[in-house]
Amino acid sequence: MATLSEKKTCSERMENFRRFIWNPETKQFMGRTLINWVWISLYYLAFYVVMTGLFSLSLYSLMRTLNPYEPDYQDQLKSPGVTLRPDVFGERGLQIYYNVSDNKTWDGFITTLQTFLTAYTPAAQHLNINCTSDTYFIQDTFDGPNKTKLSCKFTSDMLQNCSGLTDPTFGFPEGKPCLIIKMNRIIKFYPGNGTAPRVDCTYVGDDSRPLEVDYYPVNGTFNLHYFPYYGKKAQPTYTNPLVAVKLLNITRNEEFKIVCRVVGTGIISDNVHDPYEGKVEFRLKIDD
Amino acid sequence: MVGGFSILLWIGAAFSWISFGIQFAQGAESPFDNLYLGVVLALVVILTGIFAYYQEAKSTNIMASFSKMIPQQALVIRDAEKKELPADQLVVGDIVEIKGGDRIPADIRLIFTQGCKVDNSSLTGESEPQSRSCDFTHENPLETRNIAFYSTTCVEGTATGIVINTGDRTIIGRIASLASGVGNGKTPIAIEIEHFVYLVAGVAISIGVLFFIISVSMRYKILDSIIFLIGIIVANVPEGLLATVTVSLSLTAKRMAKKNCLVKNLEAVETLGSTSIICSDKTGTLTQNRMTVAHLWFDDQIYSADTSEDQTTQPFDQSSQTWTALSKIVTLCNRAEFRPGQENLPVMKRVVVGDASETALLKFAEVVLGDVMDIRARNKKVAEIPFNSTNKFQLSIHETDDRNDKRFLLVMKGAPERILERCSTIMINGKEEPLDSEKAEAFQTAYMELGGMGERVLGFCHLYLPENEFPDTYPFDTDSMNFPTSNLCFVGLLSMIDPPRSTVPDAVSKCRSAGIKVIMVTGDHPITAKAIAKSVGIISATSETVEDMAKRLNVPVERVDRRQATAAVVNGMELKDMSLQQLDEVLCNHSEIVFARTSPQQKLIIVEGCQRQGAVVAVTGDGVNDSPALKKADIGIAMGIAGSDAAKNAADMVLLDDNFASIVTGVEEGRLIFDNLKKTIAYTLTKNIAELCPFLIYIIASIPMPIGTITILFIDLGTDIIPSVALAYEKAESDIMNRRPRNKSKDRLVNEQLAVYSYLHIGIMQSVGAFVTYFTVYAEQGFLPTTLLGVRVNWESNAINDFEDSYGQEWTKYQRTYLQWTGYTAFFVSITIQQVADLIIRKTRRNSIFQQGLFRNKVIWVGIFSQIGIALILTYGLGHVTALNFTPLRFQYWFVAVPFAILIWVYDEVRKLFIRRYPGSWWDKNMYY
Repeated sequence: MATLSEKKTCSERMENFRRFIWNPETKQFMGRTLINWVWISLYYLAFYVVMTGLFSLSLYSLMRTLNPYEPDYQDQLKSPGVTLRPDVFGERGLQIYYNVSDNKTWDGFITTLQTFLTAYTPAAQHLNINCTSDTYFIQDTFDGPNKTKLSCKFTSDMLQNCSGLTDPTFGFPEGKPCLIIKMNRIIKFYPGNGTAPRVDCTYVGDDSRPLEVDYYPVNGTFNLHYFPYYGKKAQPTYTNPLVAVKLLNITRNEEFKIVCRVVGTGIISDNVHDPYEGKVEFRLKIDD
Repeated sequence: MVGGFSILLWIGAAFSWISFGIQFAQGAESPFDNLYLGVVLALVVILTGIFAYYQEAKSTNIMASFSKMIPQQALVIRDAEKKELPADQLVVGDIVEIKGGDRIPADIRLIFTQGCKVDNSSLTGESEPQSRSCDFTHENPLETRNIAFYSTTCVEGTATGIVINTGDRTIIGRIASLASGVGNGKTPIAIEIEHFVYLVAGVAISIGVLFFIISVSMRYKILDSIIFLIGIIVANVPEGLLATVTVSLSLTAKRMAKKNCLVKNLEAVETLGSTSIICSDKTGTLTQNRMTVAHLWFDDQIYSADTSEDQTTQPFDQSSQTWTALSKIVTLCNRAEFRPGQENLPVMKRVVVGDASETALLKFAEVVLGDVMDIRARNKKVAEIPFNSTNKFQLSIHETDDRNDKRFLLVMKGAPERILERCSTIMINGKEEPLDSEKAEAFQTAYMELGGMGERVLGFCHLYLPENEFPDTYPFDTDSMNFPTSNLCFVGLLSMIDPPRSTVPDAVSKCRSAGIKVIMVTGDHPITAKAIAKSVGIISATSETVEDMAKRLNVPVERVDRRQATAAVVNGMELKDMSLQQLDEVLCNHSEIVFARTSPQQKLIIVEGCQRQGAVVAVTGDGVNDSPALKKADIGIAMGIAGSDAAKNAADMVLLDDNFASIVTGVEEGRLIFDNLKKTIAYTLTKNIAELCPFLIYIIASIPMPIGTITILFIDLGTDIIPSVALAYEKAESDIMNRRPRNKSKDRLVNEQLAVYSYLHIGIMQSVGAFVTYFTVYAEQGFLPTTLLGVRVNWESNAINDFEDSYGQEWTKYQRTYLQWTGYTAFFVSITIQQVADLIIRKTRRNSIFQQGLFRNKVIWVGIFSQIGIALILTYGLGHVTALNFTPLRFQYWFVAVPFAILIWVYDEVRKLFIRRYPGSWWDKNMYY
């Protein structure tokens, strides 16, 4: 094989480059004459305008095919996720660590809960109706104003001792903190198959020792009349029902791992990949 | 040629590990993705490296063959004793004895010879054995008669000599070291690939750095920015391409091997395609390497004989009585014989014991007359004088097969002028007529004419010995010559030539239309060389050399304008005296050049001269002496049959059938692979944009990641590999042998048009198609396009497990991640679907797909099916393996990108239509790659 030396000195390269930027003989700027640049720019302009148009057209026709009330598929939403308030997310997941005697360590939790519950004040809920039946609140017609469906009221006072109304500190200073469990909304999801799903909190990995808990509302149930959810457009004022958990007898200065499951038919809580499906796990440590 | 990309990928791998380290130290949840990515990238680099090493290791070491050539034993006289010694123990001053059949153990100066002949073909390429004596005849050691060279063979006789050089210091050893010393530079294709690597790496680095800066200034974390950088690098580097190129080249090499071109160095496949000058040997390559009777002269008339490879009859007029006499002489006055046991073979293929001319005559006679041995048996030989250089004739005396004719027949053949001297009569139309000056003149004219055609002419005569003087029992004595050897009857002339191979003229004219200059370099006489050059078309019928013009215009050679002569026949002796400048002038000014009487060393000078013109030079050679030229050439072609091991080692390619026409088919394949590599690269580059855009938009618009780095690797190293190899099987679009060889500096493999068209036209369309699929998937699951903008931080946050979609539903992190993987899969599937369209449009660069035929290249369909098959396996088969980030995709999402695939096809058809309609236009210049 032959030697095809393409070695150029640095100055030659620079000279070549300068000639590429502006070639005075052919009046070429970066390999093209000015008029050529204009043509090519116009072409690309037109090309990209057309491409943008096609893209917009595709998205427009996509939007036209969509149902505004509910999505076409709920492949990932077979079972709702469960979240916890206050939600302080540390290195090892949800953590509620605080010192009873140091109010700075729990002020944040209280603020979080209070802020969270502002959506549940009677004022915020005034558009929703009072529901009393303990069955699914199925609405096939749009009974609400402006082609909407009705939503049931859930006010914070239903959480009784954990409502923040009687005890604005949510029991934190006493070492009996209130935590709020919320189940994710899924459109047309019927949890519990007729029985109201309830929250059940236990220590993780230690079944022998029962966790002393007060649930609010009683039994820690999500009343069935909050289900099914019909979506943001149908139920613009819908709020998730909540369950408050008051931990009563927590040994101080010791870290615990607690899991709160939502128990009910159709609610999966054993998905190895998803730690928040049907349950929420957190670590708790209350110092003196 | 892998260097550039490897470095980029190593950088990517290093970044992956760094970010893994940082994330791990920070205790983040799932940092292992980056660890795996780094490992995969490193694996890609290492595997490509091993692949390249494997290819390199296959190329053989030239010096290896020289060690094999050392003869086992040498007969040495040491301490007044004859000893058998291994040849490598010889020292300068040893006296060695050689006999016929031995290989010469070192360079030796002969001090005693007896009928010694050596075959120097391995050294000089001359096939005729050369006699050796003790006389010093020439200053040049290669020319003098008293030196025998290492590695040549002694054919006959015996000799004794003093060792003057051993091992590497022998003439052949020096040539060998010269051959290995000639620099091994880069092949044209390696340069092209390097250029391409620079281009892609340049794009990758500049986009990478640009977006690194953008993401940093958009207040992304440095760690995130580094991860983006990895993604951009991985998206930009066509990981599978270099393996694809190698595979395509080796496929072509295989195809060429079927056509008798054995390619040793893969890259040489393409080099052959860019060849602009072929320096070809004559003997064996252009010719059949077999003396054959070409013309006959009797009855004052020249007849032509058939010289093709597979003759079975001779068409000339055989009715004359003179021909009967002549054929008898040809048959009887001949010592050559067929080797027994070949009755079933065609005459031309049979092996003959005898020298080249006698073989030619024997085969000629066998073809025309039938069983020669039977004729000889019926005309029993009673006496014979073999040919020798002093007599310059051969004579034999036979009984005749006519029972009534008791006369003996004396037949003689030899150098025409010597034969004529011994004749007093000449046979015309079967009658003896006195040989007057007019008839002698006719003979001279014929002799000159045949000689002028470069043919070896023999004269034939006979005499019936009178019965009364030479009765049955007459004792013929060849030493005292007790029979007449003069006043014979002249019968005719036969001329022989080593005829051109029948496929060669076609091949030469193909070269001519392909813009390839064919230069003949031979050791033969200029007249023979010119005659062969003319008959194969290297010198075309209408062109003239300076000498021809001088003759035609009747002026001295010096006064002819050299520039007007298109052809030139340059003698080796002239070449010796030429300066480099003069040689350049010859190479420049004449389009048809023959170098005659050249030594193999001069071949190197010619090759260098051609390369100075900027040509890509292919050189054929067989002798050891040719190996420097073979090395020096851009592509060295060794002869498979006649070639020595050293030549084969120095060469890049071996011609298994020694046929020039095979070179031309090789050129065709080489050009085709260059075109097809262009298509492969265009195909591969296109999707880079569709892989890159997701990152850019992810960074700028903060949407959920559309495609993962691992997924990109699955496209680059999975679905795209077989289709890009399939493009190597694509047939040529037009007659690629009708255009000039590509210009090394202008016709790049990857030019601006190719890159721009792939990146900014088709690539953009693919991206749009893939993004439409992406948005469709998200929208139908609940996230409308508008919701997606700017969600990146929350979307990727592990802390948010009630992320709200457009319909008010709430999603946990894992549910979102799974959706994101569905998005990856959808994006991947869309790219695959559109790559099918890309594959189809890349089949041609100018012609419509319908002109080329959609189904002519079956391998393309294998490619398409494999592409879709792999995608199906990945999505549905491996969709549950979370580490791969594939999910079983809903079936309808496979079709979202189909309209865009069709658009790509239509757009490209329109492009090609305009290119065909308006050649040379603005469109053609900007859109044709």
